Amino acid sequence: MSLKSKVAPEEWKMRVDLAAAYRLCEFYDMTDLTGTHLSARVPGEANNFLLNPYGLYFEEVTASSLVKLSLDGDVLEDHLGLGVNSAGYTIHSAVLSGRDDLNAVMHTHTRAGIAVSSMECGLLPMSQHSMHFHKSVSYHDYEGVAVNLDEREMLQRDLGPKNKAMMLKNHGLLTSGVSVPDAFYALMRLEKSCQAQVDAMSTGAELHLVPEAVSDHTNGQFKNRGTELADRGWPGHLRRLDRMDPTYAD
Amino acid sequence: MAVLASAHPDDLCSVRDQVSDEEWQTRVDLAACYRLVDYYDMSDLLGTHISARIPGEKNTFLLNPYGMYFDEITASSLIKVDYDGNVLTETPFDLNKAGFTIHSAVMMGRPDINCALHTHTRAGIAVSALKCGLLPMSQHSARFIDNIGYHDYEGVAHDHDERERLQRDLGDYLSLILRNHGLLTCGYNIGHAFWLIYKLERACQAQIDGMAAGTKVIEIDRGVQESTKELFAKKKSAGGDLGWPGHLRRLDRMDPSYKN
Repeated sequence: MSLKSKVAPEEWKMRVDLAAAYRLCEFYDMTDLTGTHLSARVPGEANNFLLNPYGLYFEEVTASSLVKLSLDGDVLEDHLGLGVNSAGYTIHSAVLSGRDDLNAVMHTHTRAGIAVSSMECGLLPMSQHSMHFHKSVSYHDYEGVAVNLDEREMLQRDLGPKNKAMMLKNHGLLTSGVSVPDAFYALMRLEKSCQAQVDAMSTGAELHLVPEAVSDHTNGQFKNRGTELADRGWPGHLRRLDRMDPTYAD
Repeated sequence: MAVLASAHPDDLCSVRDQVSDEEWQTRVDLAACYRLVDYYDMSDLLGTHISARIPGEKNTFLLNPYGMYFDEITASSLIKVDYDGNVLTETPFDLNKAGFTIHSAVMMGRPDINCALHTHTRAGIAVSALKCGLLPMSQHSARFIDNIGYHDYEGVAHDHDERERLQRDLGDYLSLILRNHGLLTCGYNIGHAFWLIYKLERACQAQIDGMAAGTKVIEIDRGVQESTKELFAKKKSAGGDLGWPGHLRRLDRMDPSYKN
């Protein structure tokens, strides 16, 4: 049953975008069975957000099946009655309650993301993709599965007031954005950065890193463009999903 | 952003009747090349670009509409642009500014080149970030021995001044490693540039895997390097010409819409 006629048009659009992001994570090989989660704040309802129903694979998520809950953890709409992942609730409520400027949060456990998250050196300024995160990626120490709500304070402290991306050490990646496309593009760039870094470092050979002045310059170029690249790319991603399997928008 | 949101591939009309036969053929081959780069897992969302010069035309080349993914590109969707950046095809899409910088640099600097192809692949970026660069350790790498340039990273290529340095670093080569960034190959025709990017990509992949093992890597014997170099120098674009019709047959079986 579709929720389309039962929710505000703004909420419906956000549901469709977020469901699309789940499908795209699957398409780009960034899923981990039923683990990890992507969230979005409900437009006009600063205290409420959408999260995946726990037990659905990313390729099965639809706009109507997303669970709506408050930042305090009250479930407001749960079409399938599956509830949410409690670690997901901890991580996503931490980011969304700590940062009014962010409306979408994405978390993955990818092979390359976990690998870089476990390196003492962290993310290196090694590729054009990594320039997006130069001096603007946070690090959060691993505390075990995030079912302890006390971890929210540490997550908020580590993300800080400005950064949109965070390496969850020994765990995976987290990106956020003002919109679903913004957070998804950050996730793709961070994933690509990690893949190239793992490949280059696996050689054991000396790396040719981007000089700091060039990294500063390039990061400024990207910051000046804001969400332009993500906004430009998102319609094409929806076209791709519409060709492959349009059920995300159900 | 209103213009971008409304730009949709379905709004594009066929330009087949509006362009010369030479331009149409170039458009079909270039669209095929975009599809093949995607098929061989060398695309990077909306980033990177492939350009082609139209036979018989001076100072113009074709580039991709910024906003269409490589698997969506069609012959009619490609945008003709001149060296001054004037857009000569009616289109709701923009050009990628960095794409214009890189490809106009190649086309202006090298009249012998008719196609330039740029990628951001995992293995390509990784090798681009190694001080040692590309090693002569596979048959795939042999054609690039003493035959590939290196260009230092300067940030997103929006500054047209970078063109001079791109031209200098490409020199007389057909292939260029963009440090901390990716790969670029050029060809006498579209099939040739694709052939070279495929070989360079495979060379990078094998190098990463070979070096990742942590054991000593065997480099090709210097004498064999020399003889192989001579062999490849004689072949020119033979590999590209031989392989191209089969690539088009594959696309025709999979999804012939690149010809639209």
